[in-house]
Amino acid sequence: MPENRKGQLLDVRQKILAANQAAAEQLRADWGESGTLTLNLIASPGAGKTTLLEASLARLRPLGYQAAVLVGDIATERDAERIRALGIRAHQILTGGSCHLDARLVQQALAKVAWLHPDILFIENVGNLICPTSYDLGEDFKVALLSVTEGDDKPFKYPAIFARAAVTLITKCDLLPHVDFDVETVLQRISTLNSSGRVLTCSARTGEGLQDWTQFLEQRLASKRKGSNSVEQGA
Amino acid sequence: MHEIGIASSIHEAARQAVRAHGPGRLEWVRMAVGELWAVEPDLLRFAWQAVVAGGPDETARLDVEWRPARQCCAQCGRTAERSPGCWLRLCGQCGAALEIEGGDALDLRQVSFLTEENSDA
Repeated sequence: MPENRKGQLLDVRQKILAANQAAAEQLRADWGESGTLTLNLIASPGAGKTTLLEASLARLRPLGYQAAVLVGDIATERDAERIRALGIRAHQILTGGSCHLDARLVQQALAKVAWLHPDILFIENVGNLICPTSYDLGEDFKVALLSVTEGDDKPFKYPAIFARAAVTLITKCDLLPHVDFDVETVLQRISTLNSSGRVLTCSARTGEGLQDWTQFLEQRLASKRKGSNSVEQGA
Repeated sequence: MHEIGIASSIHEAARQAVRAHGPGRLEWVRMAVGELWAVEPDLLRFAWQAVVAGGPDETARLDVEWRPARQCCAQCGRTAERSPGCWLRLCGQCGAALEIEGGDALDLRQVSFLTEENSDA
């Protein structure tokens, strides 16, 4: 049986992350219905994501908001334990080597925990400024954290995240006197990449700037609920 | 470092695209990759080789069409001249702020697939 090969040329035009996008849209629709404001926190390892969350949660609770946290890490439950120690619902997603969360991992995690809808859901992504940027998790917006110890050149080195984040938090600003980090330069670089992006400067340690941050969250939650049918406010 | 994950998603998508065409192997796959994805084409091709190694598509080639982001002026409409990886602050013509357009593709464009068939068919 002689064999030959027949070549076929197929025009595909398919988004590589179409499956992730479909899962993300489903999550977005669910959170639209429940009126849950969802944030995707993206930063380098050690930028202070979990510490910022601890400080934010401590401020949101007295204001009456129910919050919950999904934390992505390659290994260890440490971050979720830190959040649970505050009495806040938290679930660790272990990615087992993958350097980012994707929408399907978030769906699986939410199916497992079966939480009642929180007012605000924080998703702390795996510490990494590159890969998590590419995967939509159905969030309302991305938050980039840039700690002052990382250097003011980072926005231009990792343009994708700073171009896509609705808000960039410059963290650990209490260390500014000790490092060569020019806040004005960072503001200019971020506005170049993202003319509508907000930039807030804060320190979870001293509390500086955290009021602006929680007010920003409250405004975004209120405008999300005004835009949708579900108007119930966190008790 | 995310090239491996993207390469395996490309392989998955290409395989899905040819599923209806029966057994065979991929000859080449063409991707459009935008600058904002922070993907290095060389690293992506290297990752692709690792992903397809040992399988039916081992010899398949990955072609990458690079799609740079443009910086355009919202005021005068001019597209700024920029070198890769370099971001400009203001429009050189009118001094207004520039906006980023494009550079966000990560699309499978074309697949060449070789089917095996008997000549007496």
